[in-house]
Amino acid sequence: MDALPQFELVRPRTLDALVAARAAHPQSSLLGGGTDLLVNIRRGIVAPKVLIEINGVAELRAITANEHELALGAAATLTDVAAHPDVMRHYPALAQAAAHIAGPTQRNMGTVGGNLCLDTRCIFYNQSEWWRDANQHCLKTTGTVCHVAPKSRGVCFATFSGDLAPALLILDAEIDIAGPAGQRSIPLSSLYIGYARQDEPVTESRGDGKYYLSLRPGEFVAAVRATNMPGLRSAYDKIRIRRSIEYPVTGVAVALRREGDKLADLRVAFTGTNPRPVRLAGTEQLCGGALDARVFDGLDALVRDQIMAMKTTFTPGHYRRRVAGILARRLVQRLFDASA
Amino acid sequence: VRRGINAVNEVVPAHNIGSYVPMVDGPEKVSGRAKYTADLVLPGMLAGRILRSPYSHAEILEVDIADAVKLPGVKAIVTGADCDKCFGVLPVARTEHPLARERVRYRGEPIAAVAAIDDATAKEALRRIKLKVRELPAYHTAKEALAPDAVALHERRPHNLERDVLFELGNVETAFAGADLVREGVYNCAEVCQNQMEMHAAIADYDAVRERMTVHASTQVPYYVHLMLAQILDMEMSRIRVIKPHVGGGFGCRTEALNVELIAALLARKAGGCVRLVVNREETFITHRGRPETDIRLKIGMRKDGRITGVECECIQRGGAHSGYGIVTILYAGSMLYAIYDLDNVKYIGKRVLTNTPPCGAFRGHGTVDVRFAFESLLDEMADALELDPFAVRRANLLRAPTFTQNDLMVNSYGLPECLDWVERESGWRARKGKLPRGKGLGMACSHYISGASKPVNWTGEPHATVKLKLDFDGSIVLLTGAAEIGQGSSTVLVQSVAEVLGLDLSRIRIVSGDSEVVPKDNGSYSSRVTFMVGNAAIEAAQNLKAVLIAAAARKLDAKPGEIECLGELYRAGAQDKGLTFNEVVTEALKDTGTITVTGNYSTIPQSHGGKKYRGAAIGGTMGYSYSAQVVEVTVDEETGVVTVDRVWVAHDCGKALNRLTVEGQVQGSVWMGMGQAMSEEAAYHDGLMVTANMLDYRVPTIQDSPPIEVGIVESIDPHGPFGAKEAGEGSLAAFLPALTNAIADAAGLRFNNLPVTPDRVFAALEKRARDGKTNGGRRS
Repeated sequence: MDALPQFELVRPRTLDALVAARAAHPQSSLLGGGTDLLVNIRRGIVAPKVLIEINGVAELRAITANEHELALGAAATLTDVAAHPDVMRHYPALAQAAAHIAGPTQRNMGTVGGNLCLDTRCIFYNQSEWWRDANQHCLKTTGTVCHVAPKSRGVCFATFSGDLAPALLILDAEIDIAGPAGQRSIPLSSLYIGYARQDEPVTESRGDGKYYLSLRPGEFVAAVRATNMPGLRSAYDKIRIRRSIEYPVTGVAVALRREGDKLADLRVAFTGTNPRPVRLAGTEQLCGGALDARVFDGLDALVRDQIMAMKTTFTPGHYRRRVAGILARRLVQRLFDASA
Repeated sequence: VRRGINAVNEVVPAHNIGSYVPMVDGPEKVSGRAKYTADLVLPGMLAGRILRSPYSHAEILEVDIADAVKLPGVKAIVTGADCDKCFGVLPVARTEHPLARERVRYRGEPIAAVAAIDDATAKEALRRIKLKVRELPAYHTAKEALAPDAVALHERRPHNLERDVLFELGNVETAFAGADLVREGVYNCAEVCQNQMEMHAAIADYDAVRERMTVHASTQVPYYVHLMLAQILDMEMSRIRVIKPHVGGGFGCRTEALNVELIAALLARKAGGCVRLVVNREETFITHRGRPETDIRLKIGMRKDGRITGVECECIQRGGAHSGYGIVTILYAGSMLYAIYDLDNVKYIGKRVLTNTPPCGAFRGHGTVDVRFAFESLLDEMADALELDPFAVRRANLLRAPTFTQNDLMVNSYGLPECLDWVERESGWRARKGKLPRGKGLGMACSHYISGASKPVNWTGEPHATVKLKLDFDGSIVLLTGAAEIGQGSSTVLVQSVAEVLGLDLSRIRIVSGDSEVVPKDNGSYSSRVTFMVGNAAIEAAQNLKAVLIAAAARKLDAKPGEIECLGELYRAGAQDKGLTFNEVVTEALKDTGTITVTGNYSTIPQSHGGKKYRGAAIGGTMGYSYSAQVVEVTVDEETGVVTVDRVWVAHDCGKALNRLTVEGQVQGSVWMGMGQAMSEEAAYHDGLMVTANMLDYRVPTIQDSPPIEVGIVESIDPHGPFGAKEAGEGSLAAFLPALTNAIADAAGLRFNNLPVTPDRVFAALEKRARDGKTNGGRRS
């Protein structure tokens, strides 16, 4: 990793100034904690001429959390989220996810916005310029082939690895997007378009590991919001090889509601497996009855169908996919038992 | 209160040996004031950069630098054409050019280098260099390189065999015939890198007027760098000066001159100035010199009582593209089967293979670790099969010191029995082994290491170590040594040794190390030689100084030298004498000679030089072996495959702990490093490109992954060691690996012969077991 190259650093103090700066520099990158971006710049993966730092905008640092609602500014740090007493109390999966990102130094710097928009990762992409050059580059940069799936016909399989997204997806979170055309709000799930189907071409709404966010030019995530649902219990768990400086091998967030002996609501989301964080579709069909083999087998089937871990990390895809299901099962059982 | 004064305010000799002594260079390091090579700023310093091969194996047809030379700001470009000399640490295996000529042999091998006014210009210049090659078949595994039709990487080594070793002492077949149980195991240990904190760096400053070269280098071996600079530059050694600033770790990675310092010097001479070459983390990984990927086939014969009858070991190391220390590594792997247990029949087959991957080297525990992993794993498996306690098996095979092993290695002190006792007791082994809940387990293993190679790789006939002490009018003692402080505490232990002999506080002594213009030559910091060899030289120097001071005191006090009592800060002739202060003695002593300099030397004894029973039998010879025993407690999550190390007990026989603080630190560090190799670290390649050449994917355990490590110090007091000491920095690494896998076998009934044991590998084994319908192996079957 080399020293940082020359760039201009813009430090707006208001949201309007930030929007204006972004519009003025369409090729800029937003800088939160820099824990991912600066590494990528030093590796020559990206070379933005302008960095716009979001941390000076006070309203983007705000955290609102109570028993009814949650709102996190894009510049709130992961440490602040993890340690916020009302986040811990009312949105435990989110607090746990934030608390288990990388190590303490990265959490002190890393931001909510940065983690939600975290660049997708791949062992053929997160390498030096020399390395990628020697390997004929790849689809995610300037190459013509995906080294993970050479027959992918233009589809990139780089993996999304942010920990916060699954914990927010199970809350049906929305994001506020700011941009030159004003503000808009969309479901968080709509932000992520990394579907990456080998048999489907990449389009504006169904992207891949390269086109993984639905943001339009000049837009950025300003905040994420969610409402608390009474009776819903949530938790986050993940596998990582080390307990620090590590992206998740796989991460799982689960939220469920129990009514008597019945499973009334079940939401499961994953990270570290696909080019997008995956909120498992079809879990509502598993609800309404007891927590029995039918539920677990059904859960396994949904995971098999929707979780697609490829050879994008040093840990084999087969393991990441299998262990994702196992973590989900465990969390479901644990939360169900705790709801008794 | 300054030590050297007792409770009733009398002067007494200060003692430090055996206590907890903070490192003498600690204040600079913890405050950030310590200067490492990359911190140095010299006038007119140019930025250096290396162009590296994108090919695994290719014939170089052309390196066209015409465009690059034209770039304004470029001061010098060097290619293979600028230097036809070879370097390499072993005189018999110097095969490496600083910049590739004719052929490149691994992805990342330097081809050209640029010195420019700044880094951006140097980078642009590299982009303008055009390379024409003819690609050759590339071999990324030992097996591919050994194929009968494989192209030789080096003409002098047909079949890509750097060295094959074969010896049989005793008779293995007969030994197996006489055994109650013969087992064979196959093991694979992934290649690992040291990943020391400081990346490789060199600053070379060429004085074109005087034709002199000064090189600052992040090295463990300034002397070897000096030798190789002379060779590569074709300069007289007297025109070269090598300075080793503070160094951020080495672990064997810098135990030989690296291309970085040699290229910096070639650039500086061509530019006629000063060049800074600081390579990045990826380049540091690719420069490599780590532990080779190793395949081992091991067969042991054992009697019912646990006594080993015979050992047959075949070891294949994927050495990388150049020789480096390779011949020594493959010999260590064989010779160090000995000197830990009493073995009568051993056959060893070693193959060091040249492959199109970065060259390997002398990683901490050089040559011994992977074989020890296999050996201790198989012992555990056999103990289980024979229903013997793993401790009992070790105890059935202990050496009786003093002794010579079958391959003529000299063992004078042997604290392994006490190490075994300590970890067995402290871990509660007898009460807990086999009684832990499902998923939890205990494992144990042993290891050992040398205290410096008795024969250095460059045999010159000089003493192994020389220390000089300078004492002047100010009463300060300056310790001059070439021993390379690389963070391991060599400076501290040498200051301690001198202070102890003279009965002085450490603060009286200042140390100057690592500048060839000032300090006596030293072979450097490797093979755990410094404490033993340079420590002994320091003791001798201090004794010589003490004799000078006693003679002066005797003269001044009108007494005989034999009557003088040295109390450190006070010299007196008998208890009633008021005596002379240290400064008064110094003033008297200076009258004769002015500034006093004394020398201490150390040489190993011939009996320690190993034998001649097979070619290369000198490798493994040392003045003293350290011993280690470990117990590891683990939890295995049988659903996810995640293994957690709950606790480690490690006992290390270092002869005598000169500094308990640094001994404990070294032993804990060895455990960590072993933990990395055992559980998470792997230098992996994609078509010869190192995929894991960064701190994220090369998974060194962090402090958050560290279990509690209980360190027991065993002091066997070696008769030749400085104050009885032996090495403390390497011997405890190897035992962790098998202790871990033995613990996993205990916890989950699964035996892992391939390293690292990552969660996905454990998971795959669990899945396989479920598929095969086995319930649970191991003791709970």
